[in-house]
Amino acid sequence: MTALVPMTRRLLGRGLPGLLALLLGIVLFELIQALVVDSFGGTEGLGSLLDTLPPAIRTLARAQPEFLAVSGLAGYLSFGFTHPLYFVLACAVVVGFACRSLAGEMERGTIQLALSRPVSRARVYGARVLGLLIIVAALAAGGPLGLLAGLLYARPEGEFVYAHLLPTALASGLLFWAIGGLTLLGSAAANTSGRAVAWAIAGLIVSYFVDYFAALWGLLETFEFLSVFNYYDPAQTLVNGRLRSIDVAVLGTVGLVGVLGGLAVFVRRDLPA
Amino acid sequence: MSDSHPIDAAIVTSGLSKRYGEVEALSRLDLAVPRGAIYGFLGPNGAGKTTTIRLLMGFVKPSAGWATVLGHDAWRDGVAARRELGFLVAPDALYTDMTGLAQLDYAASLSGRPPLLRGALLDALELSEAALGRRLGTYSKGMRQKLALTAAIQHDPALLILDEPTDGLDPLIQRAFEQVLRERRDLGRTVFMSSHDLAEVERTCERVAVVRGGRLIAEETIVGLKRRQRRSAEVVFRGAVPEGLGRVPRVATVGHRGDRVELSIDGDVAPLLRFLAGEDVVDLLLPPPRLEDIFMGFYGDGTDGERDQDGPADDGQHLTERVSEGVELVGRR
Repeated sequence: MTALVPMTRRLLGRGLPGLLALLLGIVLFELIQALVVDSFGGTEGLGSLLDTLPPAIRTLARAQPEFLAVSGLAGYLSFGFTHPLYFVLACAVVVGFACRSLAGEMERGTIQLALSRPVSRARVYGARVLGLLIIVAALAAGGPLGLLAGLLYARPEGEFVYAHLLPTALASGLLFWAIGGLTLLGSAAANTSGRAVAWAIAGLIVSYFVDYFAALWGLLETFEFLSVFNYYDPAQTLVNGRLRSIDVAVLGTVGLVGVLGGLAVFVRRDLPA
Repeated sequence: MSDSHPIDAAIVTSGLSKRYGEVEALSRLDLAVPRGAIYGFLGPNGAGKTTTIRLLMGFVKPSAGWATVLGHDAWRDGVAARRELGFLVAPDALYTDMTGLAQLDYAASLSGRPPLLRGALLDALELSEAALGRRLGTYSKGMRQKLALTAAIQHDPALLILDEPTDGLDPLIQRAFEQVLRERRDLGRTVFMSSHDLAEVERTCERVAVVRGGRLIAEETIVGLKRRQRRSAEVVFRGAVPEGLGRVPRVATVGHRGDRVELSIDGDVAPLLRFLAGEDVVDLLLPPPRLEDIFMGFYGDGTDGERDQDGPADDGQHLTERVSEGVELVGRR
């Protein structure tokens, strides 16, 4: 335990400026959602605007008119949690940390500082998992907190249940936990951070577009269950406050399998020269 | 585990091997590093020195054989093995965004032991407090090396594993560091170090192992190696060269110019000196044996890189040649 804390602090401290900048970006992005809805004249004005968008773009934004018609303000605000920019910012944090802290440290040799001391590989890996959990928690909280600040500032028209921000934070946290766990597995297996990042980005792009095109192309519906994004539905959590247990189970398990798989790889592998 | 090595050895390896795909980086290394000694580990680039050290540290898993460090298996029981160990991390592998002091504190926190020797080491290596307050990104190579050395030794480990410890240090600091090692040795600590600086090894180490092409080709005390080394001598006689010179054991005449004779001595010089004591000698030139000459004798007939590429096919022949030269070799197949 004594080694776990300084190692985790070191890992988080090393990329702290970048981490804070990206977190701030997420907070501001969600904060702006409330201001945007207000500036378009509330839900009615934004609904008219969305009606003019092509179906594919509405699908990309996960803005189905029939859903929005009944979901009101919360439904519109959920766009902020499915927007590609939100994913890019959040995934940059998760993937960046998981790749830098393990594959990056093996590549640079800095991991030898810990592994030349009486610290087990499992504990060295555990520091990465603890760091990932802290980052996931920060990301999960960052978006809803930004949205809360925006709502309190702009006070747009429409009903909104603030308590629904909690399951939304949990849903986001589970998604980033799953992505982080899988990335950590890749990071444990890679010799360079560049390779680990490439694997993670490739996996995310495939996963995202399988989920996206499945709504447009029936053939891909068969494979939709393979995408982590299939188990992430912030519109449901923000509108109804409901988090499906299957989503919790799948994302939680995927993250855990990734983390444990990474541990199994890391404790057996040779460190790169 | 084999019981052919001393139980109290700080490091023991038996049949230790490492393959990377088709490349055999280390082949059946048998080694016993006695406690309380400064032990040199020599070899050219690519000989297997760093691979051996990485195996001892548990950074890589042996393909065959085993290694124990302070009685613990280096791979399976690495945490216990590293409890009393100090390892010199490459200066490039330090965190450049940390200050020197934060780096030392971080290393100490992972060691779980107080940095008792930090002050003395910083004094010996001339690393100032002002420098410790700066980020490592501003350090020169030599300063990083000093910091890495301090981080390795500050908790007074029973065994030090150092890969090129004086690389980047100026000669004065180098000498000061050698003194630090001798002091550690005198207190019963063990030092296992690889180095390209043969003069440094000669000054500090009692015993050396020499590797080439991933194989151990010699393991001996430096005194023993020197004693067995073929040496040259030049003797100037007053008058004719005595006839009995040719019958002195282990001495061969290789040149003769008037009253001056060039000799080749295989091993011990005592028989020659006893013979010369009864003769009318004007001058005797007997240069001391140098580790560098011995080392070059091992490597002078080819490059190590070629051996790495070609594999160990001619190794048996190589060993036989060395044995015939009178150097005790302990290469194992």
